[in-house]
Amino acid sequence: MTVRRVLIFAPILLILVLLQSYFWVPTYEQQTKGNSARLSEYIAGSIGDASLLNPILSADSASSSINDMVFEGLIDRDEQLRFRGRLAKSWEIFEDAFFYVNPSARIPGLGKADAHTLADFIKHAQKTARIKDPALKDSLNRVTEIAVLPSRIFTVSKSFKDSNTGKEQTIEIQVAAPPRIKLVLNTVDQDLFQNLTHLLGKDYFESFHGKDYLKIDSQLSKEQWTAYTQELIPAVEHNPILLFHLRPGVKFHDGHLMGADDVRFTYEAIMNPKNLSPRISDYEPVKTVEVIDPLTVKIVYKRLYSPAIGTWAMGILPEHLLDSHALKKEATRLGKDPKTFSIRQSTFNRHPFGCGPFKFQNWKSDQYIILDRFDDYWEGPPNYQRYVYRIIPDLLTQEMEFYAGTIDSYGVQPHQVKRLKKDPRFQNFSGVAFGYTYIGYNMRRKPFDDPRVRRALGMAIDVEKIIQYVLYGQGERITGPFVKQTDYYNHTIKPLVYDPNGALKLLEAAGWKRNKAGRLEKNGKPFKFTLITNSGNDLRKAVLAIAQDAWKQIGIDVYTDVLEWSVFIQERVNKADFDALILGWQMGIEPDLYQIWHSSQTNPYQLNFVGYKNKEADDLIIKIRQEYNHNRQIEFSHRLHEIISDEQPYTFLYVGKWTAVLDKRIVIKTVDDTGVIQYEKITATKTGNYNFYFNQWIKLPQVPSFMDKG
Amino acid sequence: MLSFIGRSVVQKTITLFFVSIVSFLIIHLAPGSPSQVDPLNPKFTPEMVERFQKEFHLDKPLYVQYIYFYRDLFTGKTVSWKDNQSALKKIWERFLNSLPLFVVGTLITWTLSFPVGIRSAIFRGGIYDRSATFISYVLISIPGFFFAYVLIIFVVTYFHVPVIGLETFGIGDAPATYLFMDRIWHLLLPSVLGATGGIAVLSRYVRSQMLEVEGQDYIRTARAKGLSPEQVHYKHALRNAMLPFVTMFGLILPGLIGGSVIIESIFSWPGMGRMAYEAILARDYPIILTVNFVSAVLVLAGTFISDLLYLVVDPRIRL
Amino acid sequence: MNLAEKKLNTDFYIESPLPPKRTRMQEFRRLFAQNRLAILGLFIFILFFCCAVTGLFLTSGSRPIFDPAMVRLQEKLRPPLAKPNLDSLQPQEVPALGVYLMGTDDLGRDVFSRMLQGAWVSLTVGFVAVGISVLIGIFMGGIAGYFGQHHIRTDHVLFTLALILGTGLVIVNFVFIGTVLLLLCLAYIFYSLLARHGSTEKETPVLKAMLHSNAVSVDTLIMRIVDIMLCFPSFFLILTVVALLPASIYNIMIVIGLTSWMGTTRFVRAEFLSLREQDFVAAAKALGLSNFRIIFRHIMPNAIAPVLVSATIGIASAILTEAGLSFLGFGVPPPHATWGNILSNGKNFIFDAPWLTFIPGISILIVVLSFNLFGEGLRDVMNPKLKERH
Repeated sequence: MTVRRVLIFAPILLILVLLQSYFWVPTYEQQTKGNSARLSEYIAGSIGDASLLNPILSADSASSSINDMVFEGLIDRDEQLRFRGRLAKSWEIFEDAFFYVNPSARIPGLGKADAHTLADFIKHAQKTARIKDPALKDSLNRVTEIAVLPSRIFTVSKSFKDSNTGKEQTIEIQVAAPPRIKLVLNTVDQDLFQNLTHLLGKDYFESFHGKDYLKIDSQLSKEQWTAYTQELIPAVEHNPILLFHLRPGVKFHDGHLMGADDVRFTYEAIMNPKNLSPRISDYEPVKTVEVIDPLTVKIVYKRLYSPAIGTWAMGILPEHLLDSHALKKEATRLGKDPKTFSIRQSTFNRHPFGCGPFKFQNWKSDQYIILDRFDDYWEGPPNYQRYVYRIIPDLLTQEMEFYAGTIDSYGVQPHQVKRLKKDPRFQNFSGVAFGYTYIGYNMRRKPFDDPRVRRALGMAIDVEKIIQYVLYGQGERITGPFVKQTDYYNHTIKPLVYDPNGALKLLEAAGWKRNKAGRLEKNGKPFKFTLITNSGNDLRKAVLAIAQDAWKQIGIDVYTDVLEWSVFIQERVNKADFDALILGWQMGIEPDLYQIWHSSQTNPYQLNFVGYKNKEADDLIIKIRQEYNHNRQIEFSHRLHEIISDEQPYTFLYVGKWTAVLDKRIVIKTVDDTGVIQYEKITATKTGNYNFYFNQWIKLPQVPSFMDKG
Repeated sequence: MLSFIGRSVVQKTITLFFVSIVSFLIIHLAPGSPSQVDPLNPKFTPEMVERFQKEFHLDKPLYVQYIYFYRDLFTGKTVSWKDNQSALKKIWERFLNSLPLFVVGTLITWTLSFPVGIRSAIFRGGIYDRSATFISYVLISIPGFFFAYVLIIFVVTYFHVPVIGLETFGIGDAPATYLFMDRIWHLLLPSVLGATGGIAVLSRYVRSQMLEVEGQDYIRTARAKGLSPEQVHYKHALRNAMLPFVTMFGLILPGLIGGSVIIESIFSWPGMGRMAYEAILARDYPIILTVNFVSAVLVLAGTFISDLLYLVVDPRIRL
Repeated sequence: MNLAEKKLNTDFYIESPLPPKRTRMQEFRRLFAQNRLAILGLFIFILFFCCAVTGLFLTSGSRPIFDPAMVRLQEKLRPPLAKPNLDSLQPQEVPALGVYLMGTDDLGRDVFSRMLQGAWVSLTVGFVAVGISVLIGIFMGGIAGYFGQHHIRTDHVLFTLALILGTGLVIVNFVFIGTVLLLLCLAYIFYSLLARHGSTEKETPVLKAMLHSNAVSVDTLIMRIVDIMLCFPSFFLILTVVALLPASIYNIMIVIGLTSWMGTTRFVRAEFLSLREQDFVAAAKALGLSNFRIIFRHIMPNAIAPVLVSATIGIASAILTEAGLSFLGFGVPPPHATWGNILSNGKNFIFDAPWLTFIPGISILIVVLSFNLFGEGLRDVMNPKLKERH
């Protein structure tokens, strides 16, 4: 019967066809052994896909790891985390400082003075050995040039939103600025004006009333007046200057030469509001970017802001592919409206050109991104022919692919580390992460306003135990807000010791006593609060359970809540509607703590959501971000670390340790001038960065003998 | 006939309109906002957030957003918030990836369920029927991802071949037949997993349809005429039992876009389901809404086709 | 049925007007007893139910016998039947049975206690979700089936739309237009009240007729709503809603319930449509019974069978859906343990601690299977066509 036969044979045939395909698939062994091309490929596994391959537009980690390969910045950080030149060969940092002549102030030994007299007075002071104050002497020695800028009159128009009506309003401001003195310094000196008061009189700068020189027709609030005065004629002004000397002969992947114009263009692209760059705030302090010659860029800043140097590690975009002319052409080609077409819409973001060591080859969404090595890379091409970024969303399948050798690296989970370390096929590296996990207390609420309570809560938690069992030893204790492997971290501060009895004593001192049932109470009110964290992070969930348990032990009723990320942020964190929360910060290397710890950042939607306020800490935070001298930054940040650690606004828990596992066959290959090839083991830098020399990595067919020695 | 088509089209358009409103409301009234506007990212100043909201029209009242969204959708201008790619293009790309999975899965389901179901019906109550029933219920009852992991680990540890992704990675220069077979191999596990539920349900359905038909008088008549059991089963019973299945072809259509989030994530298969899932995670509203809309269109088109097919194959229905 | 047969039957009735040999319940039991798989299903289901209930008592309270939340980090990932290390544990931390019956998880929590607690939570998720869907399904299906032919007047439709729109507009800050709409509605209520009390005002009959014309029948309306709901890909819809809403066990139950009532509605409607034409309903109507009584005393008991079957299978699929959501990270949030989230947490440790995957995985399989088999058995038993043949 045909029907019957068809019914039976069709599925059998189908299944056979499907099953026989097995014999065509290379096994893992065949894949790694028989394929020499595989040895010159590096395949990285990732959970998520990149979004936009454009360094000025994307902020997610997947996109950044590709952008770092394709694009190159002016500078980056070396093994010791110091800056080193990449596209920039070298750079200079100095400053122009300005102050307005204050006609009403009396200068000791000179009286009221006009601009030229004042300039001569300072010049004279520079030469005389009469000055006793060493700080002032230092400051004066840094001044290389003194000039007088004549008085001038100009008009500016400003628009703002009226706070009552909510309407946009434009006003005209007439400024009649008095003469100004410009000091050119050979280095940056944040104390310059402070020191100059020793020469010019204590209140020379303070008594300068900028407001008198402004003329505004409409009614303004007092705050607006101060803001405009501060903006238009500040009594004193620092203009730090960064002068980059670019490396000659650096090419983009399409062969076009990179030059100063590209640097200026990258800056302008970030600042262009049409592009909605998330990095715009990094570059807000920049006043101007001037192209001095094709290989020299001068960047002038509006104010002292030392973290700004690091922003130039940002990848440089090719101007010739993205300027308005090129965009217009692309828009017409794609049939889009050229007026609304911005870099954001450009196909460049899916096929980028940079001047990094690898050039973009192919991108299949949610499958892979392939980069090929760039043979004209200025530092010499990398050893690997190809870099592949494979997207495997499931952790477990990632792990299996890694065992099978079809990916070279993946995010190793803490509980797997022990097993993988034992495996003779792999070499491993570990280091401390740049982020820490903490329990933050809402200091606006009682009883968390009492530092003793916060300290006691911290002491009741056995952090060592968390590290040992939750992180499987893959973590280290941390005592303050700085990145542990930088110089800014103060290693003399000891972490809180686990001591529940000590915690109880501290709580008793703060008025909390145990009642008959063993619960803590003060004035008849039990100690209870809610600890929250976001869902989707198992480690935080585990810490949540442990903290709840630990605090229960000393008699505190803790409720817990795990919230979905956006609800957690929008409803609880932003509105400061929480008692205590578990969260982590991912830190940059810069020691700038302004957004997280400064008292001005405690409003809703700001990052100091715990409401930490400390006068001395505020001063130090400002000083650190204004200081360009590394050693003085260290001095300030050590003190700041001490203050924060004393006050315990957070219970600083741990920094995670990451472990990376690589096939032992991956080694560093170097060729010296005489052409001798040398292989060596990959070692991590001091900061734990093992792929610092990634461009020199290569995979060998067999495990080299020096690897087996351990 | 024409009036039936006209009436259906009008009716389905109205339904679609309501679906679009409901899905829009569900997404926009839920708490939280898109990740691009994530205010806890220190890089996002309030002004940035405001500018993003303006760019995505999030500052407008809901009905304006609704009109903007569907205007963009119909002119093909909808773009993902995450990467600024055209939503329709993205969906089309993923659709092409999901297609082979869907085709093979459907083939397996349909070819396998019929013989299994028919045999169960013929030998009703026997050991074959009972074990088939039991096995199909096991297949329905097993949590999909658990089964997937067990299968993957089994294949990887015993056969040492890759099973993840669309194809084996890094054999780009192999001959075309190898590449083709490799792709088929990679289709095998996920499509089998995707088909298990379908096989179980469909074979049960085939069985009950067959039973229903076999109880009819004309089958009795056929038997009484002395036809061989084979003839009775495969010629007389099967044809009539097939009737409802013809119309089910239309109902497969929505499966095209549904994909399986879980299976696609486990097998890192860059298909529709995963894109939709990632869009949900990133709160990429345009993508979520577009997927929803397209799938609603497919559901409606599917029922429409199935109605038409019914008209064609069943002579008893006349309009 | 041919003529001869009919005659045979009538003869038979006349000669022996016996009552049926067995009562309905006995028949039911007899049929059920033949279906061994269904018996097995029922047995496991009862066992599971008992486990869940005892589990609830043993794992809740301030000092439960089996504490599913007790973290013993030093005892993490112990295999099943491992003896606890008594040195490192405080007395209250030692598991009640003296062994870790099913091992411990990555935080050292006793998997057995978690499974016990999870049984109850999974069961609740299944029952409540299905309860919601069945309630909505019966309600909508019943109305559609029983009152299906009633029509809603155009003015009522317009009125309802205006009311909803007005409220919506007020909510989204269009107070003025919203209030105007609401006021219009109020005015219309007054007007229609007046009209009913025999106002003599002359009205343009065309408009009035148009307003009072039948716009849409109840049946069409409800079935269109069902169509709209069916347009959403169900798992995707559940996922979207659960992902967007704050994670909570109630949200999951409600969402699953609200997205799965369409099937029940269709069943119930079909049953009602056929039952309301039956003689016993006509008799009840003739007796002047209220609609309410007819629906709930007379029609419902006859229509409940397919609902029961689909509810049993619905519970199974709700448990699976919850597990799938857990896998994607949107399941029932802690501190509630469900089998789904034990399984999805456990799968990360499949190489280091396979029991964390296999125990909940196989448990889910068995329980879901038992529900399905039981449901299938029920269906067979209640299917009158199959009854004849036995």
